[in-house]
Formats: sequence, structure tokens, C-alpha cells
Amino acid sequence: MKITVLYGTETGNAEMLAEDIASELQSEHTVECCNLCDFPPDAFKSDHLYLIVCSTYGDGELPASAQPFAEALETTAPDLSGIHFAVFGLGDSEYEETFNFGGKRMAELLAARGATQVGERAKHDASGSDMPEDIALPWAEEVIALAAEKMQETA
Amino acid sequence: MKRAVAIVGSGPSGCYLAQALLKAAPELAVDMFDALPVPYGLVRYGVAADHQGTKAVTRQFARLFERQGARFAGNVTVGRDVTLEALRAAYDAVVIAAGLSGDRRLGIEGEALDGVIGAGRLTRALYEHPDADPLPPPLGPRVIIMGNGNVAIDILRLLAKTPEELAGSDLGPAPSKWLAESGIAEIDIVGRSPAAQARFDAVMVKELAKLGGVTIRVEGAGESDDADARKKIEALESIDGHGSGPRCITFRFGLVPVALEGRGGRVEQARFRNARGETVTLPCSAFITAIGFQAEGSLPRDALIGAAADPEGGSLAPGLYAAGWFRRGPRGTIPENRADAQELATRILADIQEASPRPAQEREALFRRLAGHVCYEGWKRIDAAETSELPQDRCRIKIPTRSAMLALAHQTRESGQ
Ligand SMILES: Cc1cc2nc3c(=O)[nH]c(=O)nc-3n(C[C@H](O)[C@H](O)[C@H](O)COP(=O)(O)OP(=O)(O)OC[C@H]3O[C@@H](n4cnc5c(N)ncnc54)[C@H](O)[C@@H]3O)c2cc1C
Ligand SMILES: Cc1cc2nc3c(=O)[nH]c(=O)nc-3n(C[C@H](O)[C@H](O)[C@H](O)COP(=O)(O)O)c2cc1C
Repeated sequence: MKITVLYGTETGNAEMLAEDIASELQSEHTVECCNLCDFPPDAFKSDHLYLIVCSTYGDGELPASAQPFAEALETTAPDLSGIHFAVFGLGDSEYEETFNFGGKRMAELLAARGATQVGERAKHDASGSDMPEDIALPWAEEVIALAAEKMQETA
Repeated sequence: MKRAVAIVGSGPSGCYLAQALLKAAPELAVDMFDALPVPYGLVRYGVAADHQGTKAVTRQFARLFERQGARFAGNVTVGRDVTLEALRAAYDAVVIAAGLSGDRRLGIEGEALDGVIGAGRLTRALYEHPDADPLPPPLGPRVIIMGNGNVAIDILRLLAKTPEELAGSDLGPAPSKWLAESGIAEIDIVGRSPAAQARFDAVMVKELAKLGGVTIRVEGAGESDDADARKKIEALESIDGHGSGPRCITFRFGLVPVALEGRGGRVEQARFRNARGETVTLPCSAFITAIGFQAEGSLPRDALIGAAADPEGGSLAPGLYAAGWFRRGPRGTIPENRADAQELATRILADIQEASPRPAQEREALFRRLAGHVCYEGWKRIDAAETSELPQDRCRIKIPTRSAMLALAHQTRESGQ
């Protein structure tokens, strides 16, 4: 499958995780990894699965590197129907009320433009004991399998 | 020939710089020197003990040494164990990312009284920095925290928490006991400016609403048209009246400190001037200043920055750069250091192509000559000792002294391996 891993980060954790996911998937898939701030919203392709890895910052806001993308998405309002994505969020349950809002916001923004979300939105907790990659790699396998079915249906 | 960069200081700015350099130029040699036997600067010794999530960036930094080929040389104080000039002669570029650790002083009468403590001094003692002054005597019933930044809020939160609320932190046994026995009944947190100009982040204030053992009052949060300021004011309003616990916290604003007064050499009250020019006196058994940091130590920051060709861009002299707090002053959080480091890395990589590379031989000789330095494996031994056999409610127990750290770090070396 053609997979693009996109990350939104403030302090680099999401970037490291995105790179880990990309290198893990490399052997079986065609994978690219890109910072959301370098990804224009009109670059989505319907034969790719987009894995969005995104943290949360401030008071439940998108991290710095996802903000220009979110703004561009809102101003250019592209039609993303036929685009498939899955979201892996990073957050910290110390911020109870806004836990993993960054990933949530990304999912909402893309869905609002007609894109199809695949699988459950995963939520890493920096205050928990799991390492992000330990959750993310099984998650990626799962959403890829789901996406393979869905994308075949729609193709 | 391989180019080499020396980075002085392994805090966030040094580590993010190494990361950006090695991402763009994986073949580059990067050596990181730190005065401490352990890496990561204020991530380990400044970021609050109960904010472990924020410390997770160290997993990225560990990769520098574990996968990306950077070398760690701890227990090396540049300016004392090796001169800046010697490093500059051996490396194609040298970057000072040594932070700022001295407490900025208020510059008012009475600052030398007992019971007056800088935030840096207090946090270093609480977080068991090996060079910290010992923990002061118990703070007593009435503490004033002077300052309105995130550090002031960190200290407020730690002083206000019950022992149970510190579960999951890496606060050591001695500091935990010290906090539990502090005898604090009231904490005033005082800002020189109105709340609208406070430096702290709104989330830091909102977090206080989770505290169980406190009663919070906010006096005169004021108003503002500015969106950012309003967020802070709203956060303050949202915690005003929170709780009914025994520790009373009062936020006060617009009070300019004038003098600290006491008898028998110990602080007993603080005198302020309010916006109307009136004198306001608050009693206190301890007065904590959290008003910023300044250079302290073995590197002449003022002279270096003063003589710099382009201090804003991080360039001090040919082949010599500054990053992070050392360059910018004591402002900015971890992400700002990251953004900065990425810019500086681009500049350094362009610059080092201009000059001819320094020979590796002399550099390796210099590196080996720094006897007693702690390599990354040495730190891993300290790390392992700190995270094994833990009490249930702690995620790490720091080794508090340099000698114990060095003994662990050099263990296998001395046993002849
Ligand atoms: C109490 C406190 C709490 C904070 N909490 C947060 C937070 O929760 N979140 C956040 O984002 N930011 C926080 N910050 C800010 C953050 O810590 C700084 O932005 C950041 O650490 C600055 O990085 P630095 O690398 O420039 O300096 P530092 O982190 O100070 O690192 C400097 C390093 O240089 C070493 N060094 C110094 N002199 C020498 C020498 N002569 N030779 C060799 N090595 C030397 C030191 O040992 C140290 O390891 C906090 C700051 C403080 C003071
Ligand atoms: C100042 C600050 C604010 C944060 N705010 C939130 C938040 O509102 N909700 C959340 O779930 N996580 C929050 N986090 C946690 C981060 O999302 C988490 O640490 C993540 O691993 C950071 O990933 P990054 O390095 O890719 O930005 C915050 C962290 C910091 C330091």
C-alpha cells in the first residue's frame, strides 16, 4: 500500500514516532514521512492511506507544526472525499479536560472536508506507562488492514 | 574529511541542536560536553518533578547517543576542565548551550536575610542537583512567592500539594520529607505587574484547580482586551474560590517589592508599593524570588555576547555559536529551544563548509585527555540505578551526589573492562 505518515509536533515526540512508524512499515509498503507544516492540503491522493500522528499543546490546541496545515485546510477548503486517513494522537492525561484534543481536532478537520477516517483514533498518554511505539505499531497494522478493505471497496 | 561540532551543555537546546545537525548531516561528528555527570540539563533539574510527561523528550535525546552517533562527555566543565579556546582549536564549530542557572536578584534591601531564597536555588535543592545548596530550614507558616512566570507556579504547586498528590513524581525522599514537614499554612503569590501581563501560561493556572488541600483566592485579576491576557485572567477567575483545604493560596498583582525586613537576620515581612503608590506590607516566614535567571559559572557570557558579531543569529565569533537560554536569556520553553536549534543548525552546517576541516587526531587526543569524564554508558548505569527498586509512588529516585554518580558511572571501567 502507498502510505504517507504525516506528523504534527511541538517538542518532537510525534516526529520521532512518525519516523518509527514509517521505518517499521517500509519493508512491506511504499512509505513517505512528512511534517504537516510541509504538506499542502491539496496534495492528498486517493490511492494513499494517510497516517496522522499529532500531539496536543497549550490548552488542548494543535501543536505548532500542525497549525499552518489546519489554517490552510480551512481557508482553501479542499474536497477530500475519497481520501482515507487514520489518527494517532499524543497527549497527557494530566490535562484531563483536553486530553488528546490535537488528534481529535485533526480528525474533525479532515472529516469536515469529506475524508474518511479508518479505525479508532489512538491516544497515547505521556503520563501512562506505555511507550508510544508499542501502541502505534499494532495500531498501524490494524488500520492498514482496515484501509485495505475500504479502499478496495471504493476503488 | 569528517567535520566535528562540540556542544557545551546537554540541555534541551544542546540536544535539539545535535538532533537537527545529525538529521541534516548524519556523518557529522557531534560531541556533547556537560558539567554534570548526567545529561539533559533543566529537563532533569528544572521541569517539575510532577510533570513527568514533559520529560518524555529525553527519549528523543537518548537516540542521539544510542543511534545517531553523538558522544556524551559528562563531568566536564568547559572553562575549567578544558578551555573554550582548546575546544575551538579542535572542532570545526563550538556551540555554547550552557543555559543560565543563577537566580536574578530583586536588588532591594533585605535580600540577604535568612528565609529569602531564589527559585533556582530552591528547585535545584528539591530536584537534588548535585551542586545544589542544601535544602533550607522549613519555610514556616507563611510563604511569599515573588514572580509571575511558570517557575513561580511550579513552586506554588509543589509547596501546596499534599504528599499523596506527589505520587508518580521523581521527588526524592529527603525533599519529599522536607515538603511534608514544611508547616506552610499560607502562600501569597505576588506579581509586580497586573495579571494581564503575567508571564505564566493559562494551563499552568488551571492545573491548580486539581489541588485537594488548598483554598485559593485571587485578588484583583483585572481586565484586558488582549485575547492572550484574557485567557490568563479567565484562568485566574476560574480558580478563585477553589477548594476549602487548610492551605490558603492568594494571588496578588501589581505589587512592586520595596524592601524585605526582619529581626535576628531572618525575614519577617515584605514591603511593596501598589499602583496607587501606597505601601502594602505582608508578613512572611520565607520569601521566594522567582523572577528569572542570569549567567553564573565558568563561561564569561557578558563578554562573549558583548563581542558577538551577530548575537541574534547565534554567532559569537568565527566557529563559535550560542544557543538556548545562554543566547536568548532566561525566556522560552522547551519548544522554543527546538525551533531555535533548527535554525542555528542550518547556519552552522552552511558555515562549516567554508573553512578547512580540523584534523581528527588532535580532537581525539583532547577528548581522551578529559580524564574522569562520564560517557553515555556511564550515564546509563546511573539511570538504571535510579530507576530500579523504586518505591511504589515514585518513577525515579535521583542519585543526589556527584561522587555517588561518578562511582556508578565508572564502575566497569575501574573493574578493568
Ligand atoms: C525551574 C524551571 C522549570 C521549567 N519548566 C519547564 C517546563 O515545564 N516546560 C518547558 O517547556 N520549559 C520549562 N522550563 C524552561 C526550560 O527548562 C528551558 O527552556 C530550557 O531548559 C533551556 O535549555 P538550555 O539547553 O538552554 O539550558 P539548560 O537546560 O539549563 O541546559 C544547560 C546545560 O549546560 C550545562 N552547563 C552549564 N555550564 C557548563 C559548562 N561551563 N560546561 C559544560 N556544561 C555546562 C548544564 O549542566 C546543563 O546541563 C523550566 C525552567 C526552569 C528554570
Ligand atoms: C505546555 C504543554 C501543554 C500540553 N497540553 C496538552 C493538552 O491540552 N492535552 C493533552 O492531551 N496533552 C497536552 N500536552 C502533552 C503533549 O501532547 C505530550 O507531551 C506529547 O507527547 C508531546 O508531543 P510532541 O513532542 O510531538 O509535541 C501538553 C504538553 C505541554 C508541555
